[in-house]
Amino acid sequence: MAEKEITTEEIAAVYPKVAQIIADALGVDVEVVTLDVPLIEGLDAESIDFLDLVFRLERGFGVKIPRGQIVEHARGDLSETEFEQKGLVTEVGLKRLREFLSEVPADRFQSPMKSVDIPRLFTPETFCKVVVRGQRAAQVAG
Amino acid sequence: MLVAERFSAFSFVDRITTLEPGSSAVGRYTIPVHLQRFPMCLVAEAIGQLAAWVSISHLGFRRRPVAGLAGETLFFGSVTPGQVLDLAVELGTCDEDAVAYGGSARVDGGLVLELRHCVGPMLAMEEFDAPEAVRGDFETLCGPGAPAARIRALPQPEVTVIERVPGRSLVATLQVPESAPFFGDHFPRRPVFPGTLLLDRQIELAVQVAREAAHAGPDATLAPASVTDVKMRSFIAPGQAVELRVELQPQDATTFTAALAARVGGKKVATARVAVATQTGS
Repeated sequence: MAEKEITTEEIAAVYPKVAQIIADALGVDVEVVTLDVPLIEGLDAESIDFLDLVFRLERGFGVKIPRGQIVEHARGDLSETEFEQKGLVTEVGLKRLREFLSEVPADRFQSPMKSVDIPRLFTPETFCKVVVRGQRAAQVAG
Repeated sequence: MLVAERFSAFSFVDRITTLEPGSSAVGRYTIPVHLQRFPMCLVAEAIGQLAAWVSISHLGFRRRPVAGLAGETLFFGSVTPGQVLDLAVELGTCDEDAVAYGGSARVDGGLVLELRHCVGPMLAMEEFDAPEAVRGDFETLCGPGAPAARIRALPQPEVTVIERVPGRSLVATLQVPESAPFFGDHFPRRPVFPGTLLLDRQIELAVQVAREAAHAGPDATLAPASVTDVKMRSFIAPGQAVELRVELQPQDATTFTAALAARVGGKKVATARVAVATQTGS
């Protein structure tokens, strides 16, 4: 599933609002939200925060973001078993994940990686890309 | 005891009168006359429970929402025992992972509470209750309705203030009981302390701090105007001691905003903000 690359301009266009929404969802000052801070390790985000964040981004940008879309999109045309086996991301899956989360430094991808640990990689930039994809989908639909 | 308590000790919908599967519902709840008071947080609970019924039935009684988020709760007054709450909910999303909804409660046509931007994570029903029993309760609600006044008394969890900076902040401990009738209903297979009961006590404490900050005299009425960004991060279990913290941020002469946080063993389990409005008598 080839995706047109998301440009830095597209990310920059949505980032200020995404950063404010992240700050509101996590109850932190917007100054501590940077484009590359890991949301779990850096800002103490938990799974309920990701749910909150997705709904806030939907409202804030008027786009639709199905839950679990980030991992689903990362998987692309790989089947579930190609991407993940016994709770661990496969080598092929890890390669796909690195490409998909290109904003995340390479040393943060552990091997083996548990699939439940994928959200540990997420940063504000990850969610900027989610919004841009949502905007693109809305344009196609509408 | 649990069999008698389920569907009674913490259930605040008597009847579902209109249902659009997976989308909306209208229902009602009569506040039992034998209760001394009925907190507005339980009005919010009633709306949340109606939304839960819509989502649970839509997902075939396999999933149910537990705790979650309430973006905005607006208070427009108070309610008294004997009154009938007309409840209405509209669902946005309703899938295996989450239900998003808003809703309202009215008394005699007048709006008393509105919920906006609420999200409940959907979890496996089996973990909390027997799916077939829940299906039976749902059929009762959609048919003849459940018997009114089935709750005997409202839970009153004990709160002890342990630290106070008058007009600024307050720290208290809420001791969750080891056992209580409402745990038989919330939930039969896995007792969870209801977030709305937690919030009720937190709001009460915030009103105390706001009263001090306002130097409010005996003729002043202080009441919550809204609660925003309610987030339940973890379940609170029977027997746990919950530290409640209220930090006030004065905004203007008539409204005070307080940050509310609840911790168990140092871990944050719930957060919210409440706006308390003052109405000074002339």
